[in-house]
Amino acid sequence: MKKFLKNIIIFFLLALIVGEIVVRVTHTMSDIPQRVIDENGIQKYYPNQEGYWKGGDHKWSINKLGWPGELPNSYDNLIMIIGDSYIENFMNPNDCHQSAFLKKNMKTFNFMEAGRSGVSLIEAMEISKNLDSLKPVKTLVYVNNNDFYESIRDIKPLQDITQVNLKNGTIVYGKMKAPLFKKILYNWKLLYYFYTRFPLNNQSENAEAPIVNEAIEENNDKLKSKSEVFDLINYIKDNYSIKDKVFVFHPNSNTEIIKQCKNLGFNVIVLDSSKDDKKWVFDHDSHWTCYGHEQVAKQISNALLK
Amino acid sequence: MFFNSIEFFIFLPIVFGLYWLIGGKNIKTQNLLVATASYVFYGWWDWRFLSLILFSSLVDYSVGIALGKNEKPTTRKTLLWISICVNLGFLGFFKYYNFFVDSLINSFTFFGSELSINTLNIILPVGISFYTFQTLSYTIDVYNRKLEPTKDFVGFMAFVSFFPQLVAGPIERATNLLPQFSVERKFDYRNAVDGLRQVLWGLFKKIVIADNCAKYANLIFNNHTDYNGSTLLLGAFFFAFQIYGDFSGYSDIAIGISRLFGFNLKRNFAFPYFSRDIAEFWRRWHISLSTWFRDYLYIPLGGSRGGTSMKVRNTFIIFIVSGFWHGANWTFVIWGALNAIYFLPLLLANKNRVNTNLVAEGKYLPSIKELGQMGFTFLLTLIAWVFFRADNVTHAFSYLKGIFSESLFSWVEIFPSTILGLVFFFIITEWLGRSGEYAIEKVDFINRPIRWGFYLLLIILMFAFTGEEQQFIYFQF
Repeated sequence: MKKFLKNIIIFFLLALIVGEIVVRVTHTMSDIPQRVIDENGIQKYYPNQEGYWKGGDHKWSINKLGWPGELPNSYDNLIMIIGDSYIENFMNPNDCHQSAFLKKNMKTFNFMEAGRSGVSLIEAMEISKNLDSLKPVKTLVYVNNNDFYESIRDIKPLQDITQVNLKNGTIVYGKMKAPLFKKILYNWKLLYYFYTRFPLNNQSENAEAPIVNEAIEENNDKLKSKSEVFDLINYIKDNYSIKDKVFVFHPNSNTEIIKQCKNLGFNVIVLDSSKDDKKWVFDHDSHWTCYGHEQVAKQISNALLK
Repeated sequence: MFFNSIEFFIFLPIVFGLYWLIGGKNIKTQNLLVATASYVFYGWWDWRFLSLILFSSLVDYSVGIALGKNEKPTTRKTLLWISICVNLGFLGFFKYYNFFVDSLINSFTFFGSELSINTLNIILPVGISFYTFQTLSYTIDVYNRKLEPTKDFVGFMAFVSFFPQLVAGPIERATNLLPQFSVERKFDYRNAVDGLRQVLWGLFKKIVIADNCAKYANLIFNNHTDYNGSTLLLGAFFFAFQIYGDFSGYSDIAIGISRLFGFNLKRNFAFPYFSRDIAEFWRRWHISLSTWFRDYLYIPLGGSRGGTSMKVRNTFIIFIVSGFWHGANWTFVIWGALNAIYFLPLLLANKNRVNTNLVAEGKYLPSIKELGQMGFTFLLTLIAWVFFRADNVTHAFSYLKGIFSESLFSWVEIFPSTILGLVFFFIITEWLGRSGEYAIEKVDFINRPIRWGFYLLLIILMFAFTGEEQQFIYFQF
């Protein structure tokens, strides 16, 4: 029995080592950049990291300011791009990012991205406030319905997402969720593979996946928690400079939210994918493909140039 | 609990550890642990049906004791019939009630009258066909005085519910398995390693071959009107490897796990797709069921001792009953009848025992003749599998009509090269290992680095090609 158990353990350890090598060499799992919370309470990434996306087709990189993508050559005539995992865009190479496509369409402007998966609308506004020091001429904030709900602590408190408490008007900054566990998980690729492949409780902790909120309504025309959402829009109007901000609404966003934003004087661009026969998103992922990003950039530049 | 689930990977080491911690000399405690673990294993799926196994065990245990005490032929026969009626009664109710009601209603409708009987919303208890046949074999063997009735109820419970083979066989004979519960089990290193190797190969068959072939078999069978003849033939090919990988994979895992616990189960598959005729195929496919029907149905019916008409009758009976055992659907009945039609010419020409040796024994490659024979036999089984897989008889005939159309000679519309490559690797491995009990048994003689490298390759392939977890097909039978 001793010999049997000894050999089982040795084989198991060997399998772990070989498995780790195979997962790393074949890039079965994406590399996940390490996060940090800066002095302003903003969650971003440690600067100057790089890694491979799943499959190893392309690399992602974190610039020296701690945001994914490349920095512009100049900050003159700067347009800031802020958003969640759609802007973070690890699933596409750098030349398929919003900044690259917008630069192609609007050559006289420079673009900089500040995207991170899980960013709520209120956190996007906080990021924009911090990046105002770079004096952008415009800031594009990419939003969907979820970003509004996730911003409101009064609807559902979320520990790892920056939210606003509408009752007392305070910002509650998100905290790192299980940082040590994540550090181990993202560095031990085989474990990460098992964790995502065979999720406990049938829920995988996937850094790239957009957070789904229970408050998402099935019918986009019918707005749930209307008063809270409208209070949030009012709060943003009262506490942030909105003159140079543009809300870029994802296709199929709630029409009541869009209407309310317009009524309160926000600049708004509403994306529309309905006229396009070709899909904007991946088959097994709701994020935009390279083609999707190109179309989004086209609609935005058309709207901005108008 | 499925063998290819995370729960089982936690369950097995715990039971294994406790079992050997108790030690081989404490047979009763070990049997109690096996019985308890088996009930947990089964109850994980649906605890309510545990009462069925318990009741079945109680009836057959009591009948066995009574048979041991009674010498009067009429009483003994009555006892035997009690066991048969109880066991087949449960099986008939849970598995065939709705089928018979539907068939009766359809018959009345066909003759122009209405019959109003309600079908029931019955869940088929997993593995009922397997453990029913296993307990029946005990009672029949005790009745025929081939086996002494056991007085150890816990051991008997463990025999009926033995978790490695409880839900999908092999269907063990009481004469083989039951005595193993009353002798000391010793941990044997070689046996345990061999068992683990067989488990590994079984998992590979299930996860890599069966589950991946299932994706394409389902796609093609479910949309058969959209595809040309060659693609439909490919669909049948995928199903042939799905069912083989699934069922023989389960048997390998069951036999392998049993060996870890010091038990030896009967072989259930012997490389059936390398058979040179249908008779050989049936000696190599689901051996535990074929031999069960041979010993408890075919021989009592007179076997092949009578004239030609009796041979024909008995052959049709066992093949049709065997088909019906698989499921309450006319497709299974036709599948059984078709195999009987394949088998009869060989039986009548007295050529059903021509190919009893190993194909191309001692050679790397088969002769052209052997290759042709294997190809033809495989083609016959493919046609029969269409009935086995089809949702109903109309679906099966429509599928076959699609195969045997002009488009059979056009290029396939689906060509999953990776999966076909895996099936090719599987066939080659099975061919090279066909002289063993299972394909990779002889790997034991290769030096350790290469051997372990091969195991790791199988494990990597398993993780790389894990598809959607599919339930073992034979769980439904």
